[in-house]
Amino acid sequence: MNDPIRIAVLGCGTITRSEHLPAILRNAEVRLVALVDATEERAAKLIRASNLQCRACSDYRTIWGEVDAVINALPNHLHAPVTLEAIGAGVHVLCEKPLAIHSADARSCASAAEAKNLVLAVGMNRRFQDNHRLLRAVLDERRLGTLKGYDWQMGGPFDWNSASAFYFSREQAGGGVLLDYGVHLLDSIVSWFGPAVDLQYEDDDWGSGIEANVRLSLQHSGPSGAVSGQIRLSRTYLLSNRLLVKGTEADAELPLETPDAVVLHHAMQGQAVTETLAFSRSGRPSTSFDRQLENFIRSIQGREKPRVDAEQAAYVLELIERCYANRQRLLEPWSEVDALPGVAS
Amino acid sequence: MTWRDKTIFVTGATGFIGGRVCERLIQAGCKNVCAFVHTPHRAARIGRLPIQMRFGSLLNRAAVREALGKANLVVHCGLGVGRGIVEGTENLLQAAAAAGVERFVHMSTAAVYGLTPKPGTETEDAPLPHTGEPYCDNKGRAERVVLRFGRRGLPVVILRPSIVYGPYSAWSTRLIPDLKARRVSLINGGNGACNTTYVDNLIDAVFLGFENDKALGEAFFITDGERVTWGDFIQAHVKILGEDVSLPNLTPEEIQDYYRRQPGMVMGSFRAAGQALRSRELRQLLLRIPATKRVLDGIWHWSASLDESSRERIRARVGIRPAGLAMVENHRPMPDSDTLMTQSTTVFFSIEKAKKLLGYRPRVDFTEGMARVEQWLRFANYL
Repeated sequence: MNDPIRIAVLGCGTITRSEHLPAILRNAEVRLVALVDATEERAAKLIRASNLQCRACSDYRTIWGEVDAVINALPNHLHAPVTLEAIGAGVHVLCEKPLAIHSADARSCASAAEAKNLVLAVGMNRRFQDNHRLLRAVLDERRLGTLKGYDWQMGGPFDWNSASAFYFSREQAGGGVLLDYGVHLLDSIVSWFGPAVDLQYEDDDWGSGIEANVRLSLQHSGPSGAVSGQIRLSRTYLLSNRLLVKGTEADAELPLETPDAVVLHHAMQGQAVTETLAFSRSGRPSTSFDRQLENFIRSIQGREKPRVDAEQAAYVLELIERCYANRQRLLEPWSEVDALPGVAS
Repeated sequence: MTWRDKTIFVTGATGFIGGRVCERLIQAGCKNVCAFVHTPHRAARIGRLPIQMRFGSLLNRAAVREALGKANLVVHCGLGVGRGIVEGTENLLQAAAAAGVERFVHMSTAAVYGLTPKPGTETEDAPLPHTGEPYCDNKGRAERVVLRFGRRGLPVVILRPSIVYGPYSAWSTRLIPDLKARRVSLINGGNGACNTTYVDNLIDAVFLGFENDKALGEAFFITDGERVTWGDFIQAHVKILGEDVSLPNLTPEEIQDYYRRQPGMVMGSFRAAGQALRSRELRQLLLRIPATKRVLDGIWHWSASLDESSRERIRARVGIRPAGLAMVENHRPMPDSDTLMTQSTTVFFSIEKAKKLLGYRPRVDFTEGMARVEQWLRFANYL
């Protein structure tokens, strides 16, 4: 057995507390060396609360030399620069999504990691949910027949208890719901249906650069041929929170609340039936973050490739940049009113 | 220089009214809008706007002073819990007075006369009663504090809207699911006075308050000036839903009788506590007290160790129902006591004073207002 990989987590916000840290503590192949946060007390508090044997610090530069790898869970605007610094210090990186705010920075990260022969994995945990691979298998086996299109809705009142509220700063977040949820959906959709050859994009940004609602139509060309689909994202409204892929023989449904299953809707002897597909698993149950960390470790050990690498992340960021560049204003007719009283409406 | 060129500080900006105030300020061309935000993760709606957000609590005097900065105009839509309504308002008034703000528009409520205002409260000159309702009485106390600062020279205007509706309003977002689930009854045939106030009409009044000196030191009822009943309001939502919904009729006596027959104090208290603990605000307050935090954490860890069916049995036992689910007797959904009180008033508030002193004219009538609500409900996936 290899020596445990010495790892540190940068950023002690919600995603670290709820997902990365528990995944590290469940994995025997890593040893947690440090928790880093701009507010050192936040890191120290997390160490005390979880009874950890590692150190807290506020300057990530002080841990280079002590660690083999880091998980970069800092606010979005720090993903690329700190990842580049880590690579410069010879450290493997699992970086939370989005890898960067701009695709060019993501490509710089990719080049730097390649030049140093280091692993740079991007935290797209949804790729490690079983429904991702299940749909790939359903498409490969042509269980849906000829594809007619897809409809993906994801949204609900925003409830992410961010420690730094960076989500509402254009400089720190880089965008709104498209960059936040959309980066996951676009990553998945491109991996299933291929690159987007055309798109139409609308959002409800009123000038802050932090949109809360998005409507996106995409046309793909890929292994399943030409496929069109609609994506709707919201941080204000509860949407259906499921992907529906329609085909001539069957429809595949991926509900958000069951990430390890795909539901097929088709007909048998003239009767509508549903069929739930799931992988048979044995052993300890694991979360997508457990599997993501395992993939990162195995990549460092040279046994696997990162499921999502920096080049793939850069392509999705380019797609997002195309959306913003081709933005149309989402109409909100209920909102239109002569701004000042006394003006006849 | 008009008020639109000034720096405008809005509290309660993540709420329904405060959020729309921010949107309307941007639509009016304001460049310097600052929103005071207590709970950042509720800021998705105003996060779209080119405004500054400053984070903090109205209960933190220093944070309020720092956030207010050198603002010229204040719109106070922030609320708080219990006496925090009064304390937060006073903190803001002190900061506003120290900063020398030119206008302080205070969002009060017609509920300062209680959830069931009595005849004689149609105009603003009726004295504020003690209602026994914490929300109503604390909003009344907050008004008195505002007027006290007004007498000391702070230019204050008090608005008392009633049932404020429009896109994002909880009146509609609760009513539609309740109607879908057939959980709505009419009280007294729906004859109660609804005093509808379309949100944009209310915000017109805010803007008028910025510029009209005759309004200083005064309180104004703000409604649409129409005699819309609760029956009209509920039926308008039924029409939007487009389903055949029968609305059983209940008298106040039948509802009161139903509640008199409910469980005694011990089980009733468990149920009420269970309901109250589902309020995020109350939980946050309780978690500030070390002893209650320890107890609540203990309950949380214990309940997390149970399987779902055990948790469900306990929920049923202490009467914790899914949000908004009304109790039903003989196929008749039974409104809760707040709903009974709110829908039982016969008072239609007069907006004559607002028309005369503020120059207020409601521009959006009930038909138009509900048409906009319907557009929004469709977009927001409620229909």
